[in-house]
Amino acid sequence: MATLSFDAAPVPIRDDIRADLPEVWADIGRPGTWLTAERRVAIAAEARNATHCTLCAERKAALSPFTVKGAHDILGDLPENYVELIHRVMTDSGRLSRKWHEAIVATGMTKGEYVETVGVIVCTVGIDTFHRGIGMDPPPLPEPEAGDPTPYTPPGLEHELAWVPTIDPARIGPDEAPLYEGGPAHIRRALTAVPATVRSFWKMANVLYLPGHQMRDFANEYRAITHAQIELVAGRVSALNQCVY
Amino acid sequence: MGEAGDDSGIPHATLLIEFAEAVLDPDENRIARARKAVAETMGEAALVDAAAVAGNFNAIDRVADSTGIPLEPEKAAMTEDFRSALGINDFGKARSSEAAE
Repeated sequence: MATLSFDAAPVPIRDDIRADLPEVWADIGRPGTWLTAERRVAIAAEARNATHCTLCAERKAALSPFTVKGAHDILGDLPENYVELIHRVMTDSGRLSRKWHEAIVATGMTKGEYVETVGVIVCTVGIDTFHRGIGMDPPPLPEPEAGDPTPYTPPGLEHELAWVPTIDPARIGPDEAPLYEGGPAHIRRALTAVPATVRSFWKMANVLYLPGHQMRDFANEYRAITHAQIELVAGRVSALNQCVY
Repeated sequence: MGEAGDDSGIPHATLLIEFAEAVLDPDENRIARARKAVAETMGEAALVDAAAVAGNFNAIDRVADSTGIPLEPEKAAMTEDFRSALGINDFGKARSSEAAE
């Protein structure tokens, strides 16, 4: 059952957003590649909860987050390693490190589970932020659907570019080839260890931002704000997040 | 940020920068004011698109940072001068304090 609707939005919403964001939201409530639907919804719930965590606030204010010890304020539905991943990505993503990432996966979380978890977190924060921007409350979380995860490891993974495996464009299989339409920019490679996560994330990103060919078409404008205005907002948000990319 | 926005030459830059900051700020009064200012000055469609861009980058920044995906070398070279001037190169320096982990 869809839990995201713009029927009560305070401003008119573009048709592509109306069509695609409810699908992305519903995906959170479906069994994933490595995670159950229950876990995926619990991740989304904990992502929202993380913004109220006292430990995360203290770490964010500290010169180094690793000097502050304590326990996260949690909902209680997830193992500790998931909680640490979710809370740090939500509240201090600009200071994540490879060493921190390796400590997370050393607890027994697979790289696939890590990537899928990140996918759920970022779809949640992207959609919630959009709602806040237009003056709507965040949507109710979807009800978890029945079924099992469908494990899948795509061909062509390499392990050198990032902390997580990514599909090497030179060795990509036919099923995954559409993931690199428009070019294999590094950011498009980031989540490719779990292709279903990539598809869901970019479905959201293409309607919230611009599909690749429109992003580079400076001769035409596709939104009610110009390319320059889009990049101004994007740049300010990224600076506040201390995102180096 | 107002002056920086005015200097950019981009129409309504100050409004949009304030909106971007307000979306990430938990202060409800601030985002309400910013939302109203964008809608009244630039229109409701502009508000939707500004909110959409903010949502996307609040998400995609986390994709980049949590996967350790590097900036392409050619993009890093193209942007080296203003990244240094804006202090962007300093953002990740806390990461080098991993000895404290």
